[in-house]
Amino acid sequence: MEIIIDGKKCEAQYGEYLLDIARKNGIHIPTLCHSDALPGQATCRLCIVEVVEGSRRRVVTSCVFPVTREVEVFTNSEKIRRMRKNIIRLLSARAPKNEFIQKLREEYGLLQETRFAVDEKENCILCGLCVRACEEMGIFAISTVNRGIEKKVSTPFDEASDVCIGCGACAFVCPTRAINIMDENGVRHLWNKEFQLVKCQKCGEYFTTREHQEYMKQKFGEDNNYTLCEKCRKKAAGEKMAECYRI
Amino acid sequence: MELKDFSYARTILEQYPPERRFLLAILQDIQKHYNYIPRPILEMLRDYLDVPLSKLYSVATFYKALSLKPKGRYVIKVCDGTACHLKSSQSIIDEIKKVLKIVPGSTTGDGKFSLETVNCLGSCAVSPVMVINDRFYGRVTPSRVREILEEYGRLENEQTWK
Repeated sequence: MEIIIDGKKCEAQYGEYLLDIARKNGIHIPTLCHSDALPGQATCRLCIVEVVEGSRRRVVTSCVFPVTREVEVFTNSEKIRRMRKNIIRLLSARAPKNEFIQKLREEYGLLQETRFAVDEKENCILCGLCVRACEEMGIFAISTVNRGIEKKVSTPFDEASDVCIGCGACAFVCPTRAINIMDENGVRHLWNKEFQLVKCQKCGEYFTTREHQEYMKQKFGEDNNYTLCEKCRKKAAGEKMAECYRI
Repeated sequence: MELKDFSYARTILEQYPPERRFLLAILQDIQKHYNYIPRPILEMLRDYLDVPLSKLYSVATFYKALSLKPKGRYVIKVCDGTACHLKSSQSIIDEIKKVLKIVPGSTTGDGKFSLETVNCLGSCAVSPVMVINDRFYGRVTPSRVREILEEYGRLENEQTWK
């Protein structure tokens, strides 16, 4: 089917999400909590757009809105801009000094919020993407704790978690780089815990923790190049493929 | 405080099939019996329901009815909703603070009283309202606070009860 986004005709599949269609057609919709690997979070609300169907107009979050009919979409109408500005102001009251929020503020011509007492060191916008990533890894080391103004992401009892493998998936997906992860002298510091880093067998660079490596071995088996870093693993796969075609 | 016996938790758990949907009901029962959710029981629950500890901790910290710290035997809830607030519930809270030497959200050293503020108890006509365990007290004045608390006996540590 065909939908119209900001006046542009776009090809769409039934059930495909608006955000994906827009991105495929080079239409920019700002997002924070969206990750292609972990879609459907819809907590940052930045990706709101206006969907027009006949005389009905409504505002939806494009990252979780499946297209089922031929609709017209506005991603940058006056109303959307106004609403999005408010969302950015709220996010900015939460994490005032964060570089990603600052960038958004500049993009929308907004000043720093001064109305609320804020924690200048706060970077987390509580989108929950890190918790999702940890769950998808099958680890379940972190979760959202407390509620209301005291809500935060943490390990149980704020202690070093006995299940965390230090893979760093939480820090990797975080849109605002709010998670403290530090690799130093072969030791990774994450969630109040210290992990021994291991070196890649090919290039000799530190690339992950021992616990993570053990977990990969257990999950995917011995012969999965689990001793290699991502780069070397890709290279090995490439070489293997080249070998196949040479013959 | 004396060391509590956690073996009764097993009995609570086994009243429910090991399914995730009973999580909150089990936590409520544990809260009722122990006046809080002890950490060893949370770990016992993790093994019984096969739910990650992080999830249990998330639930236990989300609900106000659940507490990870021991609550007092008498939980004092002072209403600070709009009506009670206008009828100066703050002065009642201040008086309790003075008498028991605790702030809202904490428990006396002997584990007898906990103080909490709540948003509405649904009895605005007799505001300001205070509830101790399940007993209601309406039209409370700061001078009545001491009287009411005396009903529950003195603090075991007399020094703090001046």
